[in-house]
Amino acid sequence: MQGNIACAEGALAAGCNFFGGYPITPSTEVAEHMAKKMPKMGRTFIQMEDEIASISSVIGASWTGAKAMTATSGPGFSLMMENIGYAVMTETPCVIVNIQRGGPSTGQPTMSAQGDMMQCRFGSHGDFSIIALTPSTVQEMFELTVRAFNLAERFRCPVFLMSDETIGHMRERIVIPEIVETKNRKPLEKGKLPFEADSDLIPGFPVFGEGHRVHVTGLTHNAKGYPDTTNHKIHSDLVKRLVEKVESKRHEIADYDILNNDAEIVFLTYGPATRTVRQIIKDRPDLHIGHINLRIVWPFPEEVLSEFKSAKVFIIPEMNLGQISREAARHTNVPVLSLPKLGGEMHNPKELLLAMEEYL
Amino acid sequence: MKLIIDESRCKGCNLCTLVCPYNIFQEGSKLNEKGIVVPSLDRPGRCTNCRLQKLYQRRLCGVCQLICPDQAIHWVEEEPYEPLGVVIEF
Amino acid sequence: MTPSLEEWYRQERMPHIFCTGCGNGTVINCTLNAVVEMGWEIDNTIFISGIGCSSRAPGYVATDSLHTTHGRALAFATGVKMARPEFNVVVFTGDGDLSAIGGNHFIHACRRNIDMTVICMNNMIYGMTGGQGSPCTPVGAISTTTPYGAGEPVFDLAELAVAAGANYSARWTTYHVKELTKAIKAGMETPGLSFIEAMTQCPTSFGRKNRQRQPSDMIEHMKNHSILLSKKKRLEEEGKSVPDDTFAVGEFARRNRPAMGVYKK
Repeated sequence: MQGNIACAEGALAAGCNFFGGYPITPSTEVAEHMAKKMPKMGRTFIQMEDEIASISSVIGASWTGAKAMTATSGPGFSLMMENIGYAVMTETPCVIVNIQRGGPSTGQPTMSAQGDMMQCRFGSHGDFSIIALTPSTVQEMFELTVRAFNLAERFRCPVFLMSDETIGHMRERIVIPEIVETKNRKPLEKGKLPFEADSDLIPGFPVFGEGHRVHVTGLTHNAKGYPDTTNHKIHSDLVKRLVEKVESKRHEIADYDILNNDAEIVFLTYGPATRTVRQIIKDRPDLHIGHINLRIVWPFPEEVLSEFKSAKVFIIPEMNLGQISREAARHTNVPVLSLPKLGGEMHNPKELLLAMEEYL
Repeated sequence: MKLIIDESRCKGCNLCTLVCPYNIFQEGSKLNEKGIVVPSLDRPGRCTNCRLQKLYQRRLCGVCQLICPDQAIHWVEEEPYEPLGVVIEF
Repeated sequence: MTPSLEEWYRQERMPHIFCTGCGNGTVINCTLNAVVEMGWEIDNTIFISGIGCSSRAPGYVATDSLHTTHGRALAFATGVKMARPEFNVVVFTGDGDLSAIGGNHFIHACRRNIDMTVICMNNMIYGMTGGQGSPCTPVGAISTTTPYGAGEPVFDLAELAVAAGANYSARWTTYHVKELTKAIKAGMETPGLSFIEAMTQCPTSFGRKNRQRQPSDMIEHMKNHSILLSKKKRLEEEGKSVPDDTFAVGEFARRNRPAMGVYKK
């Protein structure tokens, strides 16, 4: 099965019942597969006029209680930024799949890249926090899409599946489980205000049409949902809560694999580079290599770095100019070696071995 | 029924003075406590809706209420109700 | 028991933020009167808007309401309506919101002919940001970004909706409150996208710069410069000239093109 199809199947298994999309290479197969499957399942697929409209329709649908998703790539992702901020501010659960391609601008439509890793975290204006997942196999495309929906439902924030052309267009055999565990958003209890957070910092969700008569706005709002744009305390409390509700749970959200935590040379990877490192570990059992594979990059699980007590270096191969390397370097005193690669091809084992040599 | 202007809502735009077929609404002259000149009512008993709403069981005319941008114009129950309490001028 | 007019307002939010004499309040009145006549349920109706003066309106309506980003109201509404066709969806928007930043969404919503009612409060200016020229600012009018008079031709929104495929299109002004209410109701009754353009006065940002300082000045101006569509057509058929400074009011289209999102009971 192709990675993009696995993503679409994962979404359907997670209960996605609204897809608003716009064609863009290399993510189009997601929309195509949804267009084929969803009408037969009584779910809604709509092709919008652009990516701005796609994300808008997804947020609109989410407020009616739908599990909604869209899929895009770099240029479309840039167009979505404004309404991603809207989804953050209004605490709308939604899943955004970004099959990354070479940028900036139109760049390399058919080639792979990971250049949007910082954009998904910081691209929209203002302070906020989101969750981003990074699959490295087709199986994970399926599993992490399901998890993306579950996280979105729980945390009421946009959740990104930050894949890339390599995994999106890769074909692998996958196992689709009989039962997929799905979560639904916490409903708003009667008598509670629509934006009044519970102890987990997340308010219950007032689905449209159920009599909550909620006013949803992207303006700074109070617990009732009404605009209150000049009160500094309301604004700072709101923004801090939007960040804290994700960041305070980052150890719980974190998902990574660790190998050889006593190693001196440690690779930290996400996405396609994980495959390269795994190949090296398989081919060269003589080298004692440590490996961290991140399945969730944002919020960044900084505690994973301190598990490698004897690490001399963290080597981070990425298909960008070191976006996550910089984040990792922020959290450790151990030297971080960034191995950027642009142009659309994934790292090959030789390049990584060459980079390690210095530290052997 | 009795015609009233809700002074807490009226912003003094005087659009009601423009549309009333009976010229019941007159530009006011006194500032209220909010600093707004609320229109005054000239013999509001002449208002069609005041007189005949009970009879027809629906709102009649009502253009002032429709055009009032501030939702300040209402009719309230008048006690006791006197259907022939006013002399109608044409 | 259908809710009364008073129940449709979010009374706790009143009075609203609109300036003295602003026509937006009038358009809300007309819309809610039409909604009451339709006998809709509050909990089955969704009001959606974008950004601008007009777009603050759903905040004063007691239903579930979505105040979205600039120009995107129709795209959000598409999501709501396609996900739950049983909802009655009404979109409040302004001329800048709808025709400038949201122009693409507008023509595509008309093309899809999604079953909702779009009410555009066309005040010919960007009021919220202090009176900049919009695609509907009349030629020659003064705004803060057209200090020597607007030079660009304007959008005829009602005609645009017809051309793009909306099932219902009408234009009235805030002077024609009864007609406007009727048009909104007719739009709500028509399956498919209904577009109602309500020309409104903006005494603060538009009138003040264009010698119509009083709200009544702008109302009088709209009253005197609107011409019935049927009359305009008749004049054209007779080969007579239609005055340049007038705009047509009336019903531009009522038809039955295939529509999306129509709820089948």
